Amino acid sequence: MKMLLTISWRNIWRNPGRSGVLFAAIVAGLWAGVLVVAWANGLVEQRMNYLIQTELSHAQIHHPEFRTERESSMYIADASPILSTLEEDSRVQAFAPRTITDGMLQSPVTTSGISIRGIDVEKEPRVTTLHENITEGDYLDTDVRNPVLISNRIADTHNVEIGHRIVLNFQDAENELTAASFTIVGLYQTSSSGYDERNVFVRTQDLSPLLSDQQIYHEIAVWLNDEEDVEAVVNGLNERLDQIEVQTWYELSPELRYLSDAGGLMMTVIMVIIMMALAFGILNTMLMAIFERMRELGMLLAIGMSKARVFLMIMLESIILTLTGAAAGLILASLTIAYLSRQGIDLTMFGEGLSELGYDSIVYPIMTLNHYGNVAIIVVIAALLASLFPAMKAIKINPVEVDQE
Amino acid sequence: MKIITTENLSKVYNPDTVPVHALRDVNIEFEPGEFTVVRGPSGSGKTTLLNMIGGLDKPTEGRVLIEGTTISEMSDSELINYRLQNIGFVFQHYNLIPVFSARENVSFIMLLQKRDKKEMQKRTDKLLDEVGLGDRKDARPKQLSGGQQQRVAVARALASEPRFILADEPTANLDTESAMNLLDIMEKMNREENVTFIFSTHDQRVIDRARRVITMVDGAIAKEENKSPPLKGG
Repeated sequence: MKMLLTISWRNIWRNPGRSGVLFAAIVAGLWAGVLVVAWANGLVEQRMNYLIQTELSHAQIHHPEFRTERESSMYIADASPILSTLEEDSRVQAFAPRTITDGMLQSPVTTSGISIRGIDVEKEPRVTTLHENITEGDYLDTDVRNPVLISNRIADTHNVEIGHRIVLNFQDAENELTAASFTIVGLYQTSSSGYDERNVFVRTQDLSPLLSDQQIYHEIAVWLNDEEDVEAVVNGLNERLDQIEVQTWYELSPELRYLSDAGGLMMTVIMVIIMMALAFGILNTMLMAIFERMRELGMLLAIGMSKARVFLMIMLESIILTLTGAAAGLILASLTIAYLSRQGIDLTMFGEGLSELGYDSIVYPIMTLNHYGNVAIIVVIAALLASLFPAMKAIKINPVEVDQE
Repeated sequence: MKIITTENLSKVYNPDTVPVHALRDVNIEFEPGEFTVVRGPSGSGKTTLLNMIGGLDKPTEGRVLIEGTTISEMSDSELINYRLQNIGFVFQHYNLIPVFSARENVSFIMLLQKRDKKEMQKRTDKLLDEVGLGDRKDARPKQLSGGQQQRVAVARALASEPRFILADEPTANLDTESAMNLLDIMEKMNREENVTFIFSTHDQRVIDRARRVITMVDGAIAKEENKSPPLKGG
């Protein structure tokens, strides 16, 4: 084997120019491919984290029909035992009850449909990052009566600013129309313009009395110590508690799981396309090498080198060249990713479009060991496939014919 | 015992289209220690005969026996192994491995034979000394002259300790001095170590040195000439 490795390695560098070009192509291809994959991973991961941290949390508890009907009357019938259960569960890191109703926002300029989210000022920051997204003004922990947080987008649309009053119209739990005036205390901005256009935040203790004569909650967001426990926690709560529906983040947002799966698939597709292109390069180079060395390969078969060894030698030449190129490409890519994962890839010039899609304009590429492993597997398969044909060609050489040529 | 026997050996190329009779009913025997030339004009069948004897090609009819073993009926893989263990080859174009040094080219065949490493190194050094390349052991083929490369090829052929060596036009690409030098070495090996050499050539310089000359014409043996008997003890 050592002999075969030696001869294969030296054969690779017999034509340094040609092998060097192929080596560079493999390095560049892998580097670019891995970088694109890491960027896509980062984009998907950030989108998932954003949605989980801003909107979904790990799990949510609702009235069974609230999510489809979204009526104020569909609140959680008896929240106290649920809150106690969550308090006692060591897997639960935090939870936040919310009072939610859909309604209209009226300003002197215009009226728009919105979702009014009444949050627990103390508990909400433990499950979402809303408080971190405030760009101007204060969070809801102020002395102002009926404070409201609106997004920069809504502020622009309604031409309002901090200190202005807006009117929120909505139906109460008895389906009666009601309205209340709220004072803007802060503006927020997330990376999703759609979310920003849709949601305003008030205090649950301000909103709940406007909906019912008792404290009501429509949603309880749950944050776990370990996301892996989500299914067990959700199943346990569903079994123990009646008249509610507990759902995991991926049940609440199936498209998010699809996005995650699609991200993985996309990585595989990108790498397979790149490696297919490289495989043809390897195939071409190896075939050229075989045609140039017909007489030499014929001699090896003539003097008694077995076909299996000749086959292995050619395979090794392709595999060594590909793997060394791939290793260099991966090292280069990992160094680049290490740098960019701190600095981020700034796509501010496309920021508006990305925001419409709910993505950050600065992406931090991510590449896990698992991803590198998958790339390595694709590279090895491509190298093997690309070297099969030249190796088959080599062992079909007839020593007599090539010597006469 | 005869080292090589051919029985009614015939070879027809393109039998279904334009048949070319490269060999016609060739019956010939070789004894150990011979220094024999198979001569003839181009297309006379001398190279085909050597290919048959070397197990590189298979006859259309007849058979080749090496020390009683019929090699013409062996499978490809059996033949490759048989060649490795029993036959040495010297080619017109030297056919050395360009990425190997002279030393590595010689020891390569012993590596294929899975010989002991120390024995291999010792034999490689001895052979390269014998062919006069003791000071060029680490040189690669492109750093050697044609004559030097062919001497490495002879050392490689000898390295596996074959029963006989087949040399196809070994001097065709060499100048007179290199050719004579190479023939001196081969003759010495034959004389002192009883190595059997069978040449296919029309180079008069080789024919003059041969002790037996077989002339082929149109795929058949036209004439046999024994200048002196083969060496004893093979």
